[in-house]
Amino acid sequence: MATFVEQVREMGIKKAVVTKSDEIVERLTAGMNINDIRAALRGDEPRRPNPRLRPHADGFWLHIRPSFYHTGVTNIYPTFRLGWLSTFMLVWETITGLILMVFYTPSPLVAYGNMWNILGNVPLGQLFRNMHRLGAEVMVLVVAMHMLRTFITGSYKKPRQFTWATGMLLLLFTIFLSFSGYLLPWDQLAYWALTVFISGGAAAPAPAFVNDTVLLVLQGGPALGADGLLRWYLLHVLLLPLLAGIFFFVHYYKVVLYGISLPPGREQVGEDTAKRVPKDERTYFNPDILTSELMWTALATLFLVAGALWLWDAPLETHADPVVTPLHVVAPWYLSWSQGWLKLADKTLVVGFIPLLLVSFIIMPYIEVGKSRRYADRRVGLTVAFLFIAFMLVSNWMGSPEFRVQSSPDREVSIQLLPEEGPGGLKGIPYEHMTPGTYSPGQVIDGNPFLTRGLELFQQAMYQQSCTLTGNPQWAPCNVEELENGGHRYSNFFTTDAMPDPIAHLEIVEIQPNLKEMTLHYEVTNPDTGEVTETVWIRPRHAFSNYEEECRFLNKSCATD
Amino acid sequence: MQIKIVIGTIAFMIAMMVLGYSALREPSRMERFTDAELGRSIEAGAEIFANNCATCHGVDGTAQECFDTTGNQIACQGLPLNYNGLLCGDVSQRMSDMGWTGTKHDYILTTVSAGRGSIMPTWSDAFGGPLRPDQIRNVTNFVLNYESEALCSQPLVTYEWPESATDFLAGPDITAPGDPARGQELFTVTYGCSACHGTIDGSTPAAIGPSLVDIETVGATMVEGMDAQQYVYHSILYPSDFIAPECPTGPCAGPPSVMPANFGARMGENPQDMADILAYLLGQ
Ligand code: HEM
Repeated sequence: MATFVEQVREMGIKKAVVTKSDEIVERLTAGMNINDIRAALRGDEPRRPNPRLRPHADGFWLHIRPSFYHTGVTNIYPTFRLGWLSTFMLVWETITGLILMVFYTPSPLVAYGNMWNILGNVPLGQLFRNMHRLGAEVMVLVVAMHMLRTFITGSYKKPRQFTWATGMLLLLFTIFLSFSGYLLPWDQLAYWALTVFISGGAAAPAPAFVNDTVLLVLQGGPALGADGLLRWYLLHVLLLPLLAGIFFFVHYYKVVLYGISLPPGREQVGEDTAKRVPKDERTYFNPDILTSELMWTALATLFLVAGALWLWDAPLETHADPVVTPLHVVAPWYLSWSQGWLKLADKTLVVGFIPLLLVSFIIMPYIEVGKSRRYADRRVGLTVAFLFIAFMLVSNWMGSPEFRVQSSPDREVSIQLLPEEGPGGLKGIPYEHMTPGTYSPGQVIDGNPFLTRGLELFQQAMYQQSCTLTGNPQWAPCNVEELENGGHRYSNFFTTDAMPDPIAHLEIVEIQPNLKEMTLHYEVTNPDTGEVTETVWIRPRHAFSNYEEECRFLNKSCATD
Repeated sequence: MQIKIVIGTIAFMIAMMVLGYSALREPSRMERFTDAELGRSIEAGAEIFANNCATCHGVDGTAQECFDTTGNQIACQGLPLNYNGLLCGDVSQRMSDMGWTGTKHDYILTTVSAGRGSIMPTWSDAFGGPLRPDQIRNVTNFVLNYESEALCSQPLVTYEWPESATDFLAGPDITAPGDPARGQELFTVTYGCSACHGTIDGSTPAAIGPSLVDIETVGATMVEGMDAQQYVYHSILYPSDFIAPECPTGPCAGPPSVMPANFGARMGENPQDMADILAYLLGQ
């Protein structure tokens, strides 16, 4: 072949450059030159022999993709693009995760500081943290929905049982990836969610020494500490991605091997025609599917970037503290159902049941061997599936913070208004509007809408936790219940343990430049004994702490509006 | 297909514009978060202070009002922290008294971590205390936050040491005679005098400075017209004025003396220390 210099001599500089670029493009695309690409984009018929098939034969990336799909599976239905979207999320999490990894050290001494460094010192750091964390939650949702759709369309049936089985493993890895990442910020939220789950896992129906050993291995010691963090970090960035990667390729290989199943109505019962695609039903990957996937990539990227920027912020609570257990430990929503189950059944039973459930899901397609994929023939199966989903949703709600065990009524009020972690009613008041003084619930402060709103929230919270015996119209009347020990319990519409005729106020004092202390005082007189119980709840609040921003995103009832 | 290309291109461009927009507001956002980190650290420090430090350093850090765990008022045992001598200036008075050449932040952080004497405990878990490194940083930030213009515009209170020991002991701030037991504690631990002078019963011999065994009699013979009390008092405040003849390694060096000259400044924060040390050394 002629060298570039010879070509220039022969056909002039312009033509030589064009020829050379054409050659380079053809090499990069493993078979398509510039004209072929333009023709494909214009929607022209390919020339013969079809250059659009060569990248599938000669190139690495396209060789793992089929060269054409059955047109019947290229619409939104039946795939809803959910398998593709799961793949996209996996790649998305890998990229954003790699960037976060640059700024993170898995040690209890620095991990939490690293999070603040990412937030306050790394340009776009918060955005990347939000995108990774939002992505993790979206991915769990997307994968679960993909599983649901393959169930509904009966795509798990022969010959795709193994695809389903590897899919189940992928779901498991996805959840564990999300959950193992949960620990890494090393804040109270992370620390206690993991602690509760790990110790819950150790209630498995197994000999004590097995449970103890598992607990020890997962915590890296008698409690979660440096070794535990390192282990979960390695799970998160090494072992689980590796497993997910391997099983992704197995899963995807099976998808390509059997072809995506056609909508159930399109083929005879018992037949699988996905791989027998008549010429006129082919949609070629190149350019149609490729274009469509690129479009969805752009849309999904836009959604995640905008969502991470405007809709949602990743939480960061105070530094993990092994000796201070938060009042309400909450699991991430995708595991909330298991906390719900703990309220229904014994711990050992629940912990034993979960792996059983997993195994039965994996082997389900080998047992449920009904031939038909049609909806009308699968009424029982679909009903069971929807009942199961309903059960999971209810369990999830039961495990959520809304459905929780009550502590004492004054603490309930306190943590609604001034929680130890994150934003809450009074925490959102802008610093300059926290005028020092003593205020009662529901008081109206002229010219200070924020404090007024805060005191209104105080009034509402008190109303739910109080009742009156003396006819004080501020509180609901008390229902009095006689206890076995001769004492009384007071209740109202909302609460079983209500405070009878409480006196409460909020006190704000400045204790340092830019630091004020908010104190909630409660004074309750026991009607039986006349004994007065006084309790206080004190939270400092600094001018710079900026809970307002969290209030806006986490949608807690803060007095910011 | 064309429509998909258009949608995809537009979506991609919007995504890039959103990224660009968020990059523009990064400087102010990062500043907010850097501030928030400090603010929350101070908040956490405030709680640590209230739970651990206020019993000795006072509820407002001035070492004036201290309460025990049941709420009874007790004597404050710690030094004031909400105090201009500690917090004002790049090198505050207390830092220079202690000969500290690092930063103010490190001075407080180190003192909290390692403790001082036998009353201020070691707080850092690195030295067997209860607090993690992040908690030490939080409480340090809290103490530093007491610094304010109002605090620093107050005049520094420095103690004027009277010329004569007798006048000093008769002074209004002093309970005379001093408490020899506390004096021993100050001598061996707080000020670490025994590190150079040994113990006065001779059980640990002097190492660098002259031995102080029998100083209550020997002291009276050192300088014409000075009794032992005046001699010891003066030598603690101005070590270079009189150089003792005999040190463990031969004749004592000086002037200037090897002994630090900042004990006057350090004891000036609590002059009773001087009275107690005198009581201990002179066996009154
Ligand atoms: C990280 C998780 C997963 C990824 C990346 C993934 C990816 C994919 C992709 C790209 C397809 C092609 C068809 C489509 O878009 O729907 C597919 C098909 C399939 N997936 Fe998944 N999947 C995952 C999890 C699961 C799960 C949890 C299940 C069920 C337990 C599952 C079961 C299946 C089945 C049965 C098919 C064949 C569908 C058909 O032929 O119509 N996958 N998967």
